[in-house]
Amino acid sequence: MIDLDVHLDAIRLGDVAAFGRFVAGAERGVRESLRSFAAQVDCEAVVQETFLRAWQLAPRLEADGRPNTLLRFAVRVARNLAISEARRARAKGVDPATFDEVPEISPSAPPDPILRRAIEECRDKLPQRPSQALAARIETGGAEPDEALAARLGMRTNTFLQNFSRARKLLGECLESKGVAL
Amino acid sequence: MTPEEREALVAAVTTAHRERGARGEIRGHRAYYDLDDAGRVEAFDETARQRALEAALDAQGLSSTARAILARIR
Repeated sequence: MIDLDVHLDAIRLGDVAAFGRFVAGAERGVRESLRSFAAQVDCEAVVQETFLRAWQLAPRLEADGRPNTLLRFAVRVARNLAISEARRARAKGVDPATFDEVPEISPSAPPDPILRRAIEECRDKLPQRPSQALAARIETGGAEPDEALAARLGMRTNTFLQNFSRARKLLGECLESKGVAL
Repeated sequence: MTPEEREALVAAVTTAHRERGARGEIRGHRAYYDLDDAGRVEAFDETARQRALEAALDAQGLSSTARAILARIR
């Protein structure tokens, strides 16, 4: 079993690269734990806020002898943030049962080179404009809004979003034909 | 809302870019609030797939969400 606590001592000392390795292994699980809130809160914002708090609070976190202390802590933080945000927004119909259901989560495996090759083969087949939109999103890592990416590519924002959607659809179909499901 | 408009909103929500609020908190994406419940869940699932794809393409397994987080703490 993968135990992301192998990075905990370095994270406590302020090692950003170690925290990056933790985030790489923990993001999927934290995100999945929020799915029941997807209609009530923007979970992307919650995921990002969660990891910023995990970074800030990790030095004070005591390991409890079980694996993945920091991941379990992050899931708890994420769900508390989501509940708080749902209440703040007065979201309709927040099911109280949702509050108690902390799902079992596990860390992600390291990147798979075979999967990467399959994705790259499918990316190579994309038409130019959808390929550019997808690349812009991936390469900027959330640093810029779509309006800026679209302007750089000489597209209107709506055209950029259409091209991005088309890229995702074509990529999904290509990967499916290879038997790959993301 | 036309299917094309809905699709554009879902695509907009899948970015890892999020603005900061006045107190430094990370704010929800504007497009998220224009979607109905089904559209929001669709955006969640599409984002999860997109992040898996980004992480798979990155040598360190970092998605755009991970890179946005690390940029904030560096």
